[in-house]
Amino acid sequence: MTESTLTTDNSGPAQPGRPALHAKSVLFIALQRYGLLVLFVLSVIGFSLYLPESFPTVLNFRNIAGNQAVLAIVTLAAIFPLICGHFDLSIGSVLGLTSIATASLLSKYEWPLWAAVPAGVGIGSAIGALNGFLIARLGLNALITTLGTATVITGVITWYTNGLSIITGIPVSLTDIGSGVWLGLPCTLYFLAVIAVFCWYLLEHTPFGRYLHAVGANPNAARLVGLNVDKLVMQSFVVSGTLVGLGGVLQVARQGGGNPQIGLYFMMPALSSAFLGATSIQPGRFNVPGTILAVFFLATSVSGLALAGVDNWVESIFNGTALVVAVALSTILSRRQAGT
Amino acid sequence: MPEAETHAGAEVLRVEHISKTFPGTRALDGVGLGFRRGEIHALLGNNGSGKSTLIKILAGVYAADPGGVIHAGGKSFDASRFSPDIARSLGLHFVHQTPALFPMLSVAENMAIGRGFETHGARIRWPEQRARAQRLIERFHIRAMPDLPVAWLEPADRTLVAIARALQDQEGEAHGVLILDEPTAALPGPEVERLLATLRRYAEAGQTILYVSHRLDEVLRISDRVSALRDGKHVGTAPTKDMDETKLVSMMLGREVERIRMEKGSAPLTDPLVSVRELAGGQVTSVSFELARGEVVGIAGLVGSGNSQVLRLLFGADPRSGGEIRFQGQPFTPEQPSDAIARRVAYLPADRALDATFAPMSVRENLSAVNVGRYFEGLRLRHGRERSDALAAIRRFAIRAASDLQPLSTLSGGNQQKVVLARWLQDEPKLFLLDEPSQGVAAHARTEIHGFLREAAKAGMTLLVVSSDFEELAQLCDRVLIMVHGRIAAELRPPHLDSHRLTELAHFAEVTP
Repeated sequence: MTESTLTTDNSGPAQPGRPALHAKSVLFIALQRYGLLVLFVLSVIGFSLYLPESFPTVLNFRNIAGNQAVLAIVTLAAIFPLICGHFDLSIGSVLGLTSIATASLLSKYEWPLWAAVPAGVGIGSAIGALNGFLIARLGLNALITTLGTATVITGVITWYTNGLSIITGIPVSLTDIGSGVWLGLPCTLYFLAVIAVFCWYLLEHTPFGRYLHAVGANPNAARLVGLNVDKLVMQSFVVSGTLVGLGGVLQVARQGGGNPQIGLYFMMPALSSAFLGATSIQPGRFNVPGTILAVFFLATSVSGLALAGVDNWVESIFNGTALVVAVALSTILSRRQAGT
Repeated sequence: MPEAETHAGAEVLRVEHISKTFPGTRALDGVGLGFRRGEIHALLGNNGSGKSTLIKILAGVYAADPGGVIHAGGKSFDASRFSPDIARSLGLHFVHQTPALFPMLSVAENMAIGRGFETHGARIRWPEQRARAQRLIERFHIRAMPDLPVAWLEPADRTLVAIARALQDQEGEAHGVLILDEPTAALPGPEVERLLATLRRYAEAGQTILYVSHRLDEVLRISDRVSALRDGKHVGTAPTKDMDETKLVSMMLGREVERIRMEKGSAPLTDPLVSVRELAGGQVTSVSFELARGEVVGIAGLVGSGNSQVLRLLFGADPRSGGEIRFQGQPFTPEQPSDAIARRVAYLPADRALDATFAPMSVRENLSAVNVGRYFEGLRLRHGRERSDALAAIRRFAIRAASDLQPLSTLSGGNQQKVVLARWLQDEPKLFLLDEPSQGVAAHARTEIHGFLREAAKAGMTLLVVSSDFEELAQLCDRVLIMVHGRIAAELRPPHLDSHRLTELAHFAEVTP
């Protein structure tokens, strides 16, 4: 694990000519890296003490974990283009499209699971490839391009569904996975775990992940150390689309159908979780553990607030505030650190 | 312009006893110069002669040492208290090498920015704005229309837009001084001609122009008088009609120069590592040379001579438009940097922040940026091996970092440069292309960097070095090619290789066969 080497190195002997890191700056670094984790633990303890009846229950944790798996996957999908320095605003609508497509193939066309699932995921990859082509090959602005593709996809979904959900004809074998529990944990959480480990592996343990970070840090320099920048940006969008496709299939399993409106509920939370995640574990860098932590920190806190009787609107306010505060703290801390 | 004629010859700007001391150096030492109405007055000097310091004092950016006086507009000012506001009120206008224009805004908008728009209340009066821009376009002989985005103009016209913007409020052309700092350095050949002709027309209409340039042929063609600075001192002013290139160089260098016989066409090498024939692309018109194994060869040239671009063409970073490269006897056609890297060619760019470093990434990741693939074994990155290689490089290249996981941006300039250098050197490339290897680096780091390069050459690596510091080239290189206007004009080897000779040759425009 890279994290363990991180900590040993910082306390290790300094090279001559440069002072060893102060105890104070070690504290700053630790605070930056693990601040969100500490907050997460504190909020769990706080809500457990305040709501001993309803919050610290197996059912509640199962619900949180089960419900957030799809959001976490979509957030992981978002960080691949973000690492390369590009926004992908189409993740929400692609999630909607892939889940509608999968649900419709299963119910209306009665495709078998083994065909419908790869088809749903494949649609995600294809749209990722299209975004990647427009952005990397034609050099279009990612924010504008993905806003455009997102808008088109939303229109296609509405045209195809008339705004109605697909709720019948989903095989039980799929919905069982969505609502099932294995070894005391929701099945969706296992899917998330596999995908998260895969993303973490890709980003931290393959040259591909390193190349993406290099492209995001300095595309000119990346080209001059021999990287094919266009191809890497393209690939980051394909990975992103594929992950969203997996999320879409899982969403069908979880909901037992396809809802044409879900895209809206996923895009902003996914992007804000991605940025919140980049302030912790490896601050300043989009990273998988930080992303997962951010998703679950927000979900747990919002669930606690809801159980305490606060209305629905609190979710947006809490998510937004957490993001701004985290980014502000992380920026101030890194400035202090640079000043020491 | 009858008014201008009656005043022709009167001095509009005069500086006296201007000195400027920086810690450790005296950049200017008692300089006195006068500028006459309607003349193009060229200012010459080597890097470090004090030209830019003088211009910054005139702009009010630097305060001169006490005792200096600036006379302009019939008044005298203490040069140690000169400010940008005073400079503006006296009509001193500055246009730099790459003028600060907004490429996506129209010509009319660019001309209005900084001056203010024609407004009625809060509303911009576009017809008036356009008409004003049209008048300026005519007055300054710009090939443009008011509504065209500046990005669509030819490079020379962009410079003229910047000049028009600076001079638009000048009543007539008789007041003030237009100060142009290397205005042609970024322009292609035919554009230079047009800019010079237009400037000549401004001067004939009475505009005073202070023209700073390295290009002697331009200075000879357009200026009326020429002054030179050397080591911070004013070493002479003369009417341009009495000068030629040899005399200009003598004036700049302070000693007689005889035209050096070029040692051209050194005998062909028997087994060159690289041989380049008639290579062309961008500013490079046609370049041929050969490099032996273990040789350190420099390419000297002024800004715009194309020397940096030769490196980029060899590395596949810029597209070639012609010519032939052979590498180890094989045809070599790099279309992108990865092609060159595959043949073990390395490239150190001049602009570290823009083209070389990954600032937020760690020292370790910066060191392994070219070859991180080699640590991928058994389906995972061997972070331990990457780390020990990074620590070894940090020790070997004496990089001052507290940890190999420190972000690169927290290192000093010299240490960042050593990281970029180490990134390539640890793979022992066959050919290392270096653009300004010690730019923005403190003196001791520079010495260290030269040491690493010499060591690499001794081990058989071929180095091709571009530097604007001719002292550095003379110290480091076995021989130096001199490029002028996209061609190799000469070649120097010891015992003739020294920085003065390089300066002389780099300034002579025409290629002597």
